[in-house]
Amino acid sequence: MDRDDQLAERLRSGDEKALRLAYDRHGAAVLYLAQRLLGNRADAEDVTQLTFVAAWAGRDSFDPQRGTILGWLLGIARRKAIDRMRSAARDDRLVETVRSQVAPAEEAERPERVVDRLVVADELGRLPEEQRRTLELAFFDDLTHPQIAAVTGLPLGTVKSHIRRGLANLRRRWEVDGGTFGSRSAGPLRAL
Amino acid sequence: MEHLDPDRLVLFALSEEAEDAAESGHLARCATCRDELDTLRTVTGLGAETHDLRDLPPPPEQIWQRIEADIAEPVRQQKPSPVRRSRPRWLVPVLAAAAAAIVAVAGTVAVDRFAGRAPAETVTARATLAPLATVPAAAGGTVRVLSDGEMRIGVRNLPLTTGFHEVWLIDPDDLTKMVALGNLPDQGDSVLPVPPGIDMNQYRLVDISDEPHDGDATHSGRSLLRGILTE
Repeated sequence: MDRDDQLAERLRSGDEKALRLAYDRHGAAVLYLAQRLLGNRADAEDVTQLTFVAAWAGRDSFDPQRGTILGWLLGIARRKAIDRMRSAARDDRLVETVRSQVAPAEEAERPERVVDRLVVADELGRLPEEQRRTLELAFFDDLTHPQIAAVTGLPLGTVKSHIRRGLANLRRRWEVDGGTFGSRSAGPLRAL
Repeated sequence: MEHLDPDRLVLFALSEEAEDAAESGHLARCATCRDELDTLRTVTGLGAETHDLRDLPPPPEQIWQRIEADIAEPVRQQKPSPVRRSRPRWLVPVLAAAAAAIVAVAGTVAVDRFAGRAPAETVTARATLAPLATVPAAAGGTVRVLSDGEMRIGVRNLPLTTGFHEVWLIDPDDLTKMVALGNLPDQGDSVLPVPPGIDMNQYRLVDISDEPHDGDATHSGRSLLRGILTE
């Protein structure tokens, strides 16, 4: 969280390099969210652009007490994407001859779920190495605790506590930044 | 009532072990443990879904360049050049009145006019152009309206035409109200001046049409790409 605080501090002081840093760190997640919601690369790129421009314009309103920079950016991106979808839907009604520009290739997913996943993925990447590794083996390789102990050479009790603590960390972050709880951090940013 | 062991809940959430009869009984009675297990299941489910997110490609440099251009201190715009001011006089009142099907054939301005320009332009509106149903899906384009009243249009993969491609601004609430902005090359970027006095909130549907060389200056009815200007 310290790194986030420093980045926020630099953003607020008007340091453009901090925005670049935020883009390097989180641009991929923002673009992924927009692409999942809009199903269209050109619109997703537009929304990514709008998100960072809005974040820059609204940098004073970022409050590190209420969530991370990633959570904040994803909240802005989600609103921008929804605006874009709404305006496309409105245009479709008005202009019958225009084919929907926003035709998601796949079944649209709930925005909250995509945000949740991005936030959990980010937190997983921040966990201490052994915690992350044991959780990945459980999540991705579907290994049981004893199997993880065998693969990693860690005592079973250590595997157990890594998994329990790792899950607790993911959960805490999800509760702070996740889309399901996102309305909490949406307050002053509504205007963005 | 004593709650279930947190380590057991983790094992259930990971589907690694199943509850025994006593544990099922407790879960049926105890909302606290049930909620706890639900939350753990959600988090483990999300965790498993992050597999594809580990190797997201880095965000494209060209989006950053667009961001950078947008946040650059707006350069004090010079007054519109005399050339643009000397637009035919009859055009201004007619356009302002937003009469139906006005036509103005403006020439396409060469792209290289754009090349030497200062980078810090402010984009006041943009649109993504998508192909209509009759047009190959690979066709598309983007439009940006700059604060100095120019419209930058990039198109790709337009179907071949024996005539020419024309850019229109249309009122989406009344499709008979439209203004022609000028012609386009088949590929690449072009810059067209937006006639002064046009209400971009009203004429916000950008339309690219296929026009025959038939001397009829009205819209041919064959639209290829369309998109709505936003922000």
